[in-house]
Amino acid sequence: MNNAATIASPAPSSTPLTSTPTMSHLIEARDFSLRYGRKTAVDNISFSIPKGRVVGLLGHNGAGKTSLMKAMVGLIGGTGELKVLGLDPRNQRGELLESLSYIPDVAVLPRWARVHELITLMSGLQPRFSAERARTLLKRTSVGTQDKVKSLSKGMVTQLHLALIAAIDTKLMILDEPTLGLDVMSRKSFYEMLIDEWCDGERSVIISTHQVEEIETLLSDVMMLDEGKLVLNISLEAMDSRFVALSHDASAADAVASAHPLLRYRQQGRPAALFDGEPPEHLQALGQRFRPSLVDLFMALTRKPELRARQD
Amino acid sequence: MVCYISNTPASASTAMQTWNDSAPIYQQLADRLAVQLLDGSPPEGEALPSVRHLASQYVINPLTVTRALQALVDTDLIESRRGLGMFVRSGARERLLQAKREQFLHTEWPQLRDKLRRLGLSAQDLNWEAS
Repeated sequence: MNNAATIASPAPSSTPLTSTPTMSHLIEARDFSLRYGRKTAVDNISFSIPKGRVVGLLGHNGAGKTSLMKAMVGLIGGTGELKVLGLDPRNQRGELLESLSYIPDVAVLPRWARVHELITLMSGLQPRFSAERARTLLKRTSVGTQDKVKSLSKGMVTQLHLALIAAIDTKLMILDEPTLGLDVMSRKSFYEMLIDEWCDGERSVIISTHQVEEIETLLSDVMMLDEGKLVLNISLEAMDSRFVALSHDASAADAVASAHPLLRYRQQGRPAALFDGEPPEHLQALGQRFRPSLVDLFMALTRKPELRARQD
Repeated sequence: MVCYISNTPASASTAMQTWNDSAPIYQQLADRLAVQLLDGSPPEGEALPSVRHLASQYVINPLTVTRALQALVDTDLIESRRGLGMFVRSGARERLLQAKREQFLHTEWPQLRDKLRRLGLSAQDLNWEAS
């Protein structure tokens, strides 16, 4: 492990998941639930997010992603325990909002405003906001400080929004569907800016999205919600070793099915199966192992709500 | 050309989604960087781009980049110099070439040979001089 410590030199080093002094976790939830009347939006979930991570929050529409994110910023309350930056989002909301960066799924910037006016506004609203940093970040984009929001494309508005909240000196960014409706180039620029300007090994970001395949490589961890339940919470590193996919000939289908894989599907025209853990040895000879993608896993786990999260 | 040596494209990715399902992402990145080293980029003794630079260039998580670099450290291709970053070790190119040759002879060649036999092709049928 000595090598691991030195390798990252100028850039961020990895944070071991095992370090547990208080506040090493930016978010901590224990048995947290959230209900709207009789409907359970978030169902008794427990997790923690350490520093230096990029966490993808995945789930179908209505799975509870936005509810959970709203709870994290104190917009709605739930039962159980939820601590964000060591604070109770409901009762210490003012303090919390000063120290996190958040883009809600309904994010809008006033259309009539010019970019430099927004920078002035943010300077007044956010004690940790740096106007200089915002201007530096915007130099990466084609957004000018004299531009009016209404003259910008959707992609440019999103980049502007990211620049504004990334210029707040915090440890945690929460992004609810940040790239919804953006074209592929805008999405790429958005994520490039996020990696380049935000991820320094100390700060964490939690992103909810439907574009699962696109953010897979960006993530350090993934949390999957299905009908309010946390069905998977795992680092991408652990995912590589825990889940195994096997592509096989049609003739092996019965043997594969009898081993009860999580999911059977087709991979480049060939039948394939996804296993949680090593498949039985006799099967391994019948097929070829490949790396299951996050999408495959998402399909497998969100179809089976009974499979509960196994915390690492 | 390097096509023999690796199935992954040597060029830097310009789009997202240029990874396949053959191996974990960090391994694929390590393979790509190795192919570039083999082509002399960067040359021995020179510094690699920073973790952050690579992460943003390939749009992948910095931890994944760190794992890829660690894989290259483990195979003696690059080394960390405290405070300066990662550098290509001397002799890295030769070691890499050696490793790739062995990989070809032990895994790729037997498959290729089987295929040639199945197709009924002999050494005489193969044009070694073609560009």
